[in-house]
Amino acid sequence: MKLAVISCIHGNAEALDAVLADIDTQRAEEIYCLGDLVGYGPYPNEVVEKIRSLAIPSCQGCWDEDIVDGLNACECSYPSQLAEYRGRLAHEWTDREIHPEVREYLATLPLTLKKDNLCFVHGSPNSQHEYLLPSMDGFAALERVLSADADVLFCGHTHVPYERKLENAALSVKVGTAESGDRAQQLQEQQFQVPLKRVINAGSVGEPRHGRPNATYVIYNTDTAEVTFREVTYNYEKTCQAIVEKGLPPIFAWRLAKGMEFAERADDPSHVCER
Amino acid sequence: MNITLVAGPPGIGKTTWINQFLSTSKQPLFYLCPAAGTEAVDRLRVGYHFPEVTVVEDTQAAALLMNLPDQAQIYIELGFHLDLAALPFNQLPCRKVAIVPPELAQLTEQSEWHDWADELVAGNKIQVPHPNCFPETRRMPLTGQVFDPPSLDELLTEITGGAYGQVIRLKGIFEMPDGQAFDIDFVEGLPGIEYTELKLPRSLKGRPTRPSSLEVVGYDFQQKTMAEALGVSCLSDELIAQYQRQYRQQYKTTDLTNNAEENVA
Repeated sequence: MKLAVISCIHGNAEALDAVLADIDTQRAEEIYCLGDLVGYGPYPNEVVEKIRSLAIPSCQGCWDEDIVDGLNACECSYPSQLAEYRGRLAHEWTDREIHPEVREYLATLPLTLKKDNLCFVHGSPNSQHEYLLPSMDGFAALERVLSADADVLFCGHTHVPYERKLENAALSVKVGTAESGDRAQQLQEQQFQVPLKRVINAGSVGEPRHGRPNATYVIYNTDTAEVTFREVTYNYEKTCQAIVEKGLPPIFAWRLAKGMEFAERADDPSHVCER
Repeated sequence: MNITLVAGPPGIGKTTWINQFLSTSKQPLFYLCPAAGTEAVDRLRVGYHFPEVTVVEDTQAAALLMNLPDQAQIYIELGFHLDLAALPFNQLPCRKVAIVPPELAQLTEQSEWHDWADELVAGNKIQVPHPNCFPETRRMPLTGQVFDPPSLDELLTEITGGAYGQVIRLKGIFEMPDGQAFDIDFVEGLPGIEYTELKLPRSLKGRPTRPSSLEVVGYDFQQKTMAEALGVSCLSDELIAQYQRQYRQQYKTTDLTNNAEENVA
């Protein structure tokens, strides 16, 4: 069975429509969404209504949480003072525009979704705000997949699609026991072989960061475990126009057209989100 | 002849060409950049890179040229906005050098530089602005401002990428939270943005008082938006103080470890 996994739509309804049309052509039977339905883009209500009307299961993203709970991110959310300022502008605009029922819906979204051996999260199983970068320490990445009790962990948040295979992972543990009347310790070594685990990042539908404005998402075949990354063109100029017309900072339109993402970006693969 | 006039289009390498003489000469040296203002980036750069060179103010120029010492050399960098045919310096006994793109330096074709110069020198391979489409220059004084480095990186990528208008040239002096200053340079058509650390004493006591400035040359600038983004990229008094405490401590520790002397202003 083919699954489509989409993430980080960020209020970009044009991009979402194009991706949904592409998913139809791929004959995917189910769609999962990894959150960040709102934020930065000009159509937050429309995007949420579309996801709800199609009954697409979705996790809660960091931007969705911010709209529900307010801004309280740790330092990993913004790489610079400029990005933080712009992120706050986008948050305030979205906070003003969002309909009450949309906010209520965002509050109901779960942090993780499960289907058999697959787990779906926005950032990581620990937090919607944590970045699972492709360069993250292998042991830490494996820990995230194991903590989700899954073989395949789907995530978004970084806006850059990737597949990471964690294979040939051998864990060796030495357990010490003290014998009665004798303080010498007997060390018993135990070996665990971890089967293949995978982290698959779905990229971003509405706010790409790969140097082009095109939307990205992923198709996963549950029978063959085949992963196909899709890049979809759409009328991004229409979104850019709406960004300006609706009073969002025009620099967001320029950055979208360049495929540069609006503001957020993770740089440090060793950072553990404290939110 | 101890007066050298240097002209050419923006980004061609006029200051770079002059710098080679400033770094090697043993004679008294003077540098003048007429009608550019006291915070012109070229003036600041020459002053910072070559402290032994006297950077001449416009108001001092006439007196200096009348009484130039025999052994002295003065380099006069002519901004692209000046009308070469109408320069008062043309009356002086001087060497007139035009820096032009390599293809123009090799041909005997007509241009205002060919008409004016005694000597043509091949500079950067850039597109010369069309005479009917004269670029505008925007200068933003930055003295006292200290930048958040990742914000500055992002902003320079946006500015040079055309987010606030088409930029054919960018140059600036920027102060950093560790007390260092950078000379930053971009020319459309040449690869990347060049960052050069200035060999100046670290400024780690309050806002720096030495001049810094940004200049962009190009077309259709949204100056207000660009100035706002620059403002957001600057650190507050509180953050400057916080960084400076941290760096003063760090350099003090480094000095003790290396037994080296750090010049902290």
